[in-house]
Amino acid sequence: MSGRRTGWWRDPWRKPRILVAITVGYLLWSLLPVLVAVLFSFNDGKSRTVWQGFSMRWYWGDPYRSVWYDDSLHAALVQTLRLGIITTLITVPLGVALAIGLDRWHGRLPSGANAALLLSFVIPEILLAVALLFVVTNVALPIALGTSAQVVGLVTYQIAYPAVLVRARLATIGTQYEEAAMDLGASPMQAQRRVILPMLMPAIVASAVLVFADVIDDFVIVRYLSGDSSTEPTSVKIYNTARAAPTPALNALATLMLVTAMLAVVLGFAIYRWIGRRSGHDGGIGSFTGEA
Amino acid sequence: MADPRLDRRSVLRTAALLGLGIPAAASLLQACGRPELTASDLRIASPDDPVRWTIQDDNQPIADGLSPESGPLILYNYADYVAPGVVKAFEKQYGVEVKISTFNDTDEAVQKIRTGSVPYDIYFPSYDQISRLVAAELVQPLNHTYLSNIENVWPTFQNPWYDQGWQFTVPYTVYSTGIGWRDDQVGDVATLDNPYDVLWDEQYAGSTAIIDDWHTAMAMVGLRAGITDVNTDSARDLRTISDGLSAISDATQPKVTVSMYSDLPGGQLGVSQMWSGDIVNAQYYLPKGQSVDVLRYWFPEDGKGLVDNDLMVVLKDGRCPVLAHLFIQHMLDEKNALRNFGFIGYQPPQRVLDTDRLVADGYLPENLATAAVKQEWFDSSYRLLELDVANDQAWHQVWQQFKAGG
Amino acid sequence: MSTEDRGNRFLGPVLALPGIVWLLVFFLAPLYVVLAVVFGGLDPIFRTAVPIWNPAYWDTTQMRYVLEHIVGPTGFFGPALLRTAVYVVTASLLCLVIAFPIAYYVARLAGRWRGLLLALLIAPFWISYMMRMLAWVNLLANDGLVNRILPGQVDWLSGRSEVVVLGLVYGYVPYMIIPLYAGLDRLPQSLVEAARDLGASRTSAFFRVTMPMCRPIVVASVLLTCLPMLGDYYTSDLLSGSPQTSMVGNLINETVLTPGQTGQAGAFVLLVLLVSLLPMIYYVRSVSRDEAGL
Repeated sequence: MSGRRTGWWRDPWRKPRILVAITVGYLLWSLLPVLVAVLFSFNDGKSRTVWQGFSMRWYWGDPYRSVWYDDSLHAALVQTLRLGIITTLITVPLGVALAIGLDRWHGRLPSGANAALLLSFVIPEILLAVALLFVVTNVALPIALGTSAQVVGLVTYQIAYPAVLVRARLATIGTQYEEAAMDLGASPMQAQRRVILPMLMPAIVASAVLVFADVIDDFVIVRYLSGDSSTEPTSVKIYNTARAAPTPALNALATLMLVTAMLAVVLGFAIYRWIGRRSGHDGGIGSFTGEA
Repeated sequence: MADPRLDRRSVLRTAALLGLGIPAAASLLQACGRPELTASDLRIASPDDPVRWTIQDDNQPIADGLSPESGPLILYNYADYVAPGVVKAFEKQYGVEVKISTFNDTDEAVQKIRTGSVPYDIYFPSYDQISRLVAAELVQPLNHTYLSNIENVWPTFQNPWYDQGWQFTVPYTVYSTGIGWRDDQVGDVATLDNPYDVLWDEQYAGSTAIIDDWHTAMAMVGLRAGITDVNTDSARDLRTISDGLSAISDATQPKVTVSMYSDLPGGQLGVSQMWSGDIVNAQYYLPKGQSVDVLRYWFPEDGKGLVDNDLMVVLKDGRCPVLAHLFIQHMLDEKNALRNFGFIGYQPPQRVLDTDRLVADGYLPENLATAAVKQEWFDSSYRLLELDVANDQAWHQVWQQFKAGG
Repeated sequence: MSTEDRGNRFLGPVLALPGIVWLLVFFLAPLYVVLAVVFGGLDPIFRTAVPIWNPAYWDTTQMRYVLEHIVGPTGFFGPALLRTAVYVVTASLLCLVIAFPIAYYVARLAGRWRGLLLALLIAPFWISYMMRMLAWVNLLANDGLVNRILPGQVDWLSGRSEVVVLGLVYGYVPYMIIPLYAGLDRLPQSLVEAARDLGASRTSAFFRVTMPMCRPIVVASVLLTCLPMLGDYYTSDLLSGSPQTSMVGNLINETVLTPGQTGQAGAFVLLVLLVSLLPMIYYVRSVSRDEAGL
């Protein structure tokens, strides 16, 4: 540790000035454009490029085109949140069960399933979206373009998140706790519910936040599988409008999405830390980001 | 075994492979409820060959005097192509919700309509899909008793060649397709020998655009080269058009878009192929403080260019046919039509509008007088017709090649 | 064999089954539907796709059409495919050049700033891709900030390859930084220290010890970035809108709902799938190996 105490400029181990510059430069480059876009959501004029004074006009001032009054804009917000919540509620249990199952089942089928799972994680999204569009439009399943098709697509695309995170956590837990529980008379199912599940909670919470945040950002799947305009979420609305005639109301909508995502993440992280501390697994923000 | 698609056993086997089980497989087989058609069922209407469509027994208009449904009414339309205020007025009058779904082009729209997964009520196509829409029974015939405001529109649309007796369609807007430009960036296009050439002029590379609609864009390329049959089925003409598209790609890398009404006033574009309605609309998208004087529009003075009209049709799968009729009646109302004109910039074919006085009456700024659409043009100018299956495919292939950027 | 053991043996399959069925029905089976559409027929008047489920009746017209128009004098798809490759490779390399130093710095050197830096680095991850593109559309507009700050008036948003590539880099860098960071964070510092103790200079320790250990991490991160890029069409749509910057994603997006061309979109889907299959399998194997090693 003494090495860290000396100033970094004298430390023979590192020469990070360039690295610091790159990192800071990158952060400015990555965040400033977004901040500018947020700023223009408060523009008093119709322009998204020329500043004409501060106003809340695009949030609720304008009687037709503000987010508050334009039905199509808040329909988009509602659909985004609806997809985020439904998808998370289905994906997380499905993925967690799959992870636990695959962890203790060996053979060809499970390892094939594991490969398919990982493939679903890295497949270019448009391939899955087009494939599911073909399914919905050509096969008479009880799934129609719109929320149901979107949820199916999103769950398929996201299921790997909880599965991968939970498997990583399972690997660090090992089998001794479960065996101990069963030695004390618990059935296998009880052992899972009473012992393993609580230990997995941090990973489950982290994956729920990841899935939620990823779903509300999703574009390709939700666009291909959308039905009428009430099932077009924010990202699709931004895309459609950005290619037509956007007003700062679009920036306002995007800003609200940003705030929602940030809230979800902060809240999720708080829960994660709280559970982590209780279960004695104090993961930093790093393990929260799905680095597994 | 004549038709491989209907081979029941193979469907069942596939379904079993997919792990779907027999009930699902049975419903798979019921997937196709639409009439089976062949290419010869397609009758193409044209001004020289007007068509009165047959109304099928299983596709009758709604009865007289029904009370409106509780909604919501779903419109299927281009973006920014109906005035929110006019829609709100309808919502208020009937106490229903109106939802607007948008499409980028009508090809995509018809495909989505055919899946039947969204019960759109009113669709706003051009007349160039009408035979397909009727043949496949995607549209339902209108009950004229709900639509007394048809009296307000130009007589030619009360008995149009594409739908004699207006059994399925009412007109929505009329427009010409010309060239719009900013006179602070581009010289006077109207004085060029061939005004279309400006889009091929390298000095405007990076600030040009053409309309993202295969037929409209390709017809313009043809007109530039003197091909006045804008529905040509000659392979040589199509090759000329294809070459023209390659040339425009090399010369100016045009954007292919339908957002010129905001890109041109925003300064992203200097000159663009444009619908007359878009250049009118463009004045509302100018940055604060910029004079409308910079906008210009050219269309051949003799009317020898493309003129079109869009329609409103009631879709068969919609759940609110009565409301749909009432909405159409609402849009044909003089006051609403003019208010809609004021917002979208597209002229309704209303008798009350004197096309020689649109500037004097304040509908058009003086510099955009050329954007007025005259009734007589609909007798003499070029019309984009529906194409038969083989020709449609040939045109689409040329367009696809262009869009691939190859 | 005790009863517990037997219960235990069934627990795995029971828990895994719903997920496996889901993947079968909604991930693997749809690929068969794609085949049925690509090798299927057309509706005679709308020319929409009519899938043929039985492989015995498959019709190769659409697939042949696509393949025949990739190379040669009528190969108008070729340039778009080549462009995709060039864009994806260039953008991925740029991403790596940007992401590696940052991930390295934050993972190994940042000290007490690490938490904050990491939070800021992850932030773009939570900001919608569309919003980030929208931000650039605003900045690069003709009367946007960039044109007002930089000298000269440039039409940034009109079919410029460099703008699309920069958009891709901007959009996908976060997807590179996170896995790189995670991998570098796990590298044992002790090996580098040992190398230094044995007299290696700082640079040679980096190049001879750190770098070789990083290679699998770098490969995995590059894969995680360029695979989604392969299917991108919206970046080009928003930042250019010109056919001159069409990528294979645009070909798919343009054709999928065009009469008579839906099967071609499916054919492109299959092509992209084939091209990405090798890297995907590589990724799956390396991840599975990691899991086995844990």
